[in-house]
Amino acid sequence: MTETMWLIAAVVAAVLSMGWLALAYETHWQQVFPESRTLPETGRLKLTGWVFLSLSAVFCLKADHPSMAVLVWVMLLAVAAFSVAMMLSHRPAALKIICPPLFVAKA
Amino acid sequence: MFNSLRMSMGWVHTWMGLVLGFVLMICFFFGALSVFDREIDRWAIPDTRFEPQPMPSFDNVLKPIYQQLQPDPVDMAATERRVVGTLPDPETLKLESLFAYTTHRDPVLLIGGEFAIPNQPIDPADDHQHVHGRATVNPATGEMLNDDALKIGSDWFYPMHFSLNLNWMMLGYWIVGLAALVMLAGLVSGIIIHRKIFREFFTFRPWKNLFRSSLDLHNMTGVVALPFHFFFAFTALVIFASNIYLPVTHTTLKPLHEHHEMLEAERKGLPHEPAGIPAPLASVDAMVAEAKRRWAERNMAGEVGFLSMNHLGDENGYVSIYRAGSDRVALVGEGIHFKASTGEVIREEPPRSVVSSIDEFLTGLHLQHFEHWMLRWLYVFGGLLGAICIATGFILFVEKRKAKHARNGSQGSRIVDALAVTTVTGMVLAAVGMLVANRLLPADLAGKGQWEQTIFWSVWGLAFLHAAWRSSPVAKARYNPAWREQSLLLGLMSLCAVGLNWVTTGDHLIKTVFTDTYWAVAGVDLSLIVTALIAFYAAAKLRAPVTEQKIDDALSRNKQVNAYD
Repeated sequence: MTETMWLIAAVVAAVLSMGWLALAYETHWQQVFPESRTLPETGRLKLTGWVFLSLSAVFCLKADHPSMAVLVWVMLLAVAAFSVAMMLSHRPAALKIICPPLFVAKA
Repeated sequence: MFNSLRMSMGWVHTWMGLVLGFVLMICFFFGALSVFDREIDRWAIPDTRFEPQPMPSFDNVLKPIYQQLQPDPVDMAATERRVVGTLPDPETLKLESLFAYTTHRDPVLLIGGEFAIPNQPIDPADDHQHVHGRATVNPATGEMLNDDALKIGSDWFYPMHFSLNLNWMMLGYWIVGLAALVMLAGLVSGIIIHRKIFREFFTFRPWKNLFRSSLDLHNMTGVVALPFHFFFAFTALVIFASNIYLPVTHTTLKPLHEHHEMLEAERKGLPHEPAGIPAPLASVDAMVAEAKRRWAERNMAGEVGFLSMNHLGDENGYVSIYRAGSDRVALVGEGIHFKASTGEVIREEPPRSVVSSIDEFLTGLHLQHFEHWMLRWLYVFGGLLGAICIATGFILFVEKRKAKHARNGSQGSRIVDALAVTTVTGMVLAAVGMLVANRLLPADLAGKGQWEQTIFWSVWGLAFLHAAWRSSPVAKARYNPAWREQSLLLGLMSLCAVGLNWVTTGDHLIKTVFTDTYWAVAGVDLSLIVTALIAFYAAAKLRAPVTEQKIDDALSRNKQVNAYD
């Protein structure tokens, strides 16, 4: 059961990190906030994104033998990136929930 | 010929991708299905829908089953052509070696062996002096599975992805190997011609025109799963490199190889030849218990994955027991060899060297013996991303050229589009059609497996004819209605397969998910339903009328599109 919990944590961390890394691009930020005149706080978004990306790797290592964990992590990144890309193209507003004021820079 | 590296790479990417993309599509799609080959087997052979079990007792269960094993008639005929005189009656041939193989996903067990023959080979260099026998047994009852029951997952979809089931001169293996090599070149050239790998990492704009949105999807599915694409093409080549693609040990270096084999046997204490002195067989179960004890001692407690015996009934006979690699990225390994007549340990394989461990990881990550359901599904997803990448590649090829071809009266785009329909929707139709046939044909039909294969190829052939017949609009820069029609048919057939499974076996989803949970069958049914939903969604999207205005837009845009940009 603990393994499953770690894997769920890895999935969540991977999706969040990909979300933030995407929002660090101004084009994607504007897809999520089309009306707003705000800009992304790029540095913070990228830093948090990379931290969570590393965290998801740690969670994968907690769940499995390292040889297996590395495969799970690499594949998870592909799925997370694809999911974020699909959210951006179909339901961009949904990504607002991962954007606290901390990540907003004033235009 | 080209002014820049990007242009020359673009040429390689486009034309090699087009020619071998059709093959790669087969590798990716059937490769994705192979992740769940055993589960598809359960769906296709309802008699085997019970829980997987570890290797059963050899002494009590397997030993009597081997006595029923018969030489394979096809291999008998093939061997007869290679030897002097006629082969003896198959009933009289003596089993000289045997094996049993199982995984954590197998309720049934694969067994086989080699039968000795007295005939001399026509070619003195031919050392293949035996006939093979193979069977699938139900270890619970000790019964052999009907030979006519084709294991659609592991004996059809799985070999499809690495051999195209074209076994003449191993042609399929060579075509797939070439495709894997070209795919590696395609990945490198793709990276070179893609200008905005990071900036467009998350970019998919379905609201843009078909060319642009397909290019987005092509780039995105190629880039996000790049490690997967690279490692699967590369490890595919690694897996077959030594015995098929570069078989130097069986060609140029054959004498050296044979000498090494003998020396190695001597060094390991495993007799290369029989002694000619009859000897009994000690308890194999005791040997298995000893092997498990030794694995546990090395902190690698596990189950038996592979068991083999050589020189059966001879003083030099030995039993080899290998551990199943379910808990790591590995194949069967940690072999321990026993003297068959006494049960004493002859040799315990030492831990792998660094090179051998790397090889095991590379082949293991592709062959997936591991017990990790999430990683299995992630692999399916990776395979489907690869399929999307190739399919959008075909669309790009056609969209970029069809307006020009329409003006010139060329049929190029039309042909490529028809082939794309055949390898995208047509291929899935063939696979689902085979499942439908599997449920419609009676279980006791003679040659049922052959019929299923014939239906598979026929559905695929008909899908091609349909795509070609409906393709004329492409020559006028319009869309081929076959895309939509085949999507609709696919949706209907997928639902049909789920319904037929219910009607013919009584295993409906409420039962297989809730009341009498059996995920192998439930998973196939649910995947078929998802396939149907996606197919109907695609058909609905493709119904959107393409107005003359849109076509004119496409024509004028195509004049402007000169490069992948």
